Amino acid sequence: MLGALTAEAVAKRNNVTVLGRADGPVMLFAHGYGCDQDMWRRLVPYFAADYQVVLFDHVGAGHSDLDAYDREKYGTLDGYATDVLEICAALDLADVILVGHSVSAMIALIAAAREPERFARLILVAPSPRYTNDADDGYVGGFSHEDIEGLLKSLDSNYFAWAEALAPMAMGNPDSPEYAEELRSSFCRTNPSIARHFARVTFLSDSRSILDRVQCDSLILQCSDDLLAPPEVGTYVHQHLGHSTLVHLQTTGHCPHVSAPEATAGAILQYIGRRP
Amino acid sequence: MTDTAGRPVVNFEALFHQAPCGYLVTDDGGRIAAVNDTFVRWTGYSRTTLLGTKLQFLMPVGDQILYATHCIPQLGITGSVSEIAVDIVGADHIRRPALLSASRFAAAGQESGSIRVIIFSAHERRLYETELVSALRAAEESDAKRALAEQELRRLALHDALTGLPNRAGLKARFGAAPHGGTRERKSLAALFIDLDHFKAVNDSLGHSAGDNLLVSVAGRLAAAVQASGAVARLSGDEFVVVDEVAGTDDATALAASLLDVMAAPMHLEGLEIVISASIGIAVAQGGDDTVEDLIRRADIAVYRAKERGRNRWELHRPAPSDPAVDRLRALGELRRGIGEGALRVHYQPRIDLRTGRASGVEALVRWQHPTRGLLPPSEFIAMAEESGLVRPLGAWVLDETLKLAESLRRNDHHGAGLEFAVNLSARQLNDPGLVDMVEGALERRSMDPALLLLEITETALMSDPGAAVESLNALKNLGVGLAVDDFGTGYSSLMYLKKFPVNELKIDRSFIMGLGLDTGDGAIVGSCIDLAHAVGIRAVAEGVETSGQAQALQDMGCDLAQGYLFARPLPVPQLREWLASHA
Repeated sequence: MLGALTAEAVAKRNNVTVLGRADGPVMLFAHGYGCDQDMWRRLVPYFAADYQVVLFDHVGAGHSDLDAYDREKYGTLDGYATDVLEICAALDLADVILVGHSVSAMIALIAAAREPERFARLILVAPSPRYTNDADDGYVGGFSHEDIEGLLKSLDSNYFAWAEALAPMAMGNPDSPEYAEELRSSFCRTNPSIARHFARVTFLSDSRSILDRVQCDSLILQCSDDLLAPPEVGTYVHQHLGHSTLVHLQTTGHCPHVSAPEATAGAILQYIGRRP
Repeated sequence: MTDTAGRPVVNFEALFHQAPCGYLVTDDGGRIAAVNDTFVRWTGYSRTTLLGTKLQFLMPVGDQILYATHCIPQLGITGSVSEIAVDIVGADHIRRPALLSASRFAAAGQESGSIRVIIFSAHERRLYETELVSALRAAEESDAKRALAEQELRRLALHDALTGLPNRAGLKARFGAAPHGGTRERKSLAALFIDLDHFKAVNDSLGHSAGDNLLVSVAGRLAAAVQASGAVARLSGDEFVVVDEVAGTDDATALAASLLDVMAAPMHLEGLEIVISASIGIAVAQGGDDTVEDLIRRADIAVYRAKERGRNRWELHRPAPSDPAVDRLRALGELRRGIGEGALRVHYQPRIDLRTGRASGVEALVRWQHPTRGLLPPSEFIAMAEESGLVRPLGAWVLDETLKLAESLRRNDHHGAGLEFAVNLSARQLNDPGLVDMVEGALERRSMDPALLLLEITETALMSDPGAAVESLNALKNLGVGLAVDDFGTGYSSLMYLKKFPVNELKIDRSFIMGLGLDTGDGAIVGSCIDLAHAVGIRAVAEGVETSGQAQALQDMGCDLAQGYLFARPLPVPQLREWLASHA
């Protein structure tokens, strides 16, 4: 079962990167939809001195092994949670602080429900257990089914932009010369068919039932003006998740770790430093 | 005009406002701080409406999600995005397809961060890409549909339509063609051949639909009586087979007895209560050499004995503890008599040109109508004929029969004109000094154009004495006949002889064709055989083609000819004539 995969096999499949202090507590970062581990670049420096930082790409994203993509396995978030647990087992990670952004916040909760002893803390950045509204019980996720169909159309429109071979040349930006052209053109590139399937799985999933099955201490980071995770959703997660702390960040948008890395890192450090 | 440094003075404000695309400046959150005239005009909003609005709010929700999850992080991390396809919804609520590129400038000192955005109208390009992607989606869908249809076809091919039980092919697919001895956990495979007693009487007196109902309920009873390790199949009419693992012959006969009990329970048909019975022949694998086919054949022999001895009983097939030399002599005698008494037949299998879909020729295949074993394929008796030398007269007879048919088709049947006739040569024939004279004589006797005769030699036969083979082949070549390497890929697969022997055609062995579409390894082997044939300038032929999927794959790989059950089985002459007429 779990742990059957070697560290090499998992590292190849999920393009695992290990940084930071080798003997420090472990922080495992799981990226959200539409991106890969590159999105943690601005946040990681705040932790690398004191923590062992483990980054990875979900299968289908970034430099993961596309041959490992199995439509059935990754047809639910559970398949992604299996990968998270396999990474932990293969690298023998213990007392893990698992940071999950967006859909990966739910993947983190599923993993923690399956193997509670593995995780010390969960950091849920802009979580949402369900993106579509539920007319039956009045839940407001923020989107209608038509909106998600629209997203799939948008993905199709960008089909050629996602496909690496036809990636347009970025013209560069004199303001941030530190990023090589290679990163610009490969950033968060993904196989268009996988992006489409992952979009369905992400935006049409309903993970609300997992919330009351998680006992792990967790921090919910809520931004203002987040299209994907409106404040009501953050409050909902807080109410249904035992041992959770809700913190409002003074930053707008869906990716505080990109737009306000210092404030985001500060909130996380304050939370994980609060108790040993 | 120039400035003090001599550079021409440019009106940058005019360039900004009158550029042939939209220019915008936003803060890090996307709030519009400046916008040019082109964008104001293109969208139809007033400048005051646009200023302070978030740029992403001008997009439909789907684009907004993509922008939030992909573009904003990319802008934040790498500082730029290029040619993102978005729709901009104008004041008239109409979507305008566009491409968006942007660069981010980080906060510095008093200056807060900002994003410079260019938006191009991209109607034509978006239209083109949308068409490409929907064509791609349609292709993916039709691929998936075809795969489903093939799966269904395969299921149909392996099952009996009336009872839903596996048929003979399904049974073979389940148990494989490999021998089954008593190796695994000391269990052996047994076949029970079940033939209903007096089934014809039911059909005749109650009608076919009652007969069908009877068969369906027998199928149900058998299936319920056999454990999960076993299988029940319907071979034809009222013939069923049960195959299962048994601990020994006692186990097998006990199973047979229990099946007879199960059958004996009364059943209701057309309002009548009837009691049926069956005769069962049993064969148990011995010593590890028996395939499922062998077992079924032996059980079939035993069922005849059960019928002879009064029905409603089982009989065990015991291979006689015989002297192999005596067996061989007896079999040889039968074959010699068979040849003399006209018990041998030639059947002809059409060979299809994959480019035109029409028959380009036929392969002659010899069959032996054995008095007790039924119609036997060459694999059952050619080895024996080879060893005994009987293959010489047999081979000459097959060739003459074939050329006789060719002559008759040429004279009387315009559908047969121009067809190629392929005839197999055995290893022993190839080394026979009289071979060339024999072929030449046959060609003359039947006034046959040598170019329309193709002699097939197996790869193994060629390699048994390559030196002699080259000589014979060259002599045959000089007669003007074509030569083919049969069963290619099963022997040495040596590239050398393809160059050394004067062959015109390479026949890829059926075992590889069977794996097409199932096993990528076989696909690769078939593909390289075809390429190899073409590289040395000869034709590639596929044998054993059974599904349209295989035919399609072969066609895609550029294979020249194909034969197999998909197109036609080997046919006796009258049926061949009909087939040719209906496929002209």
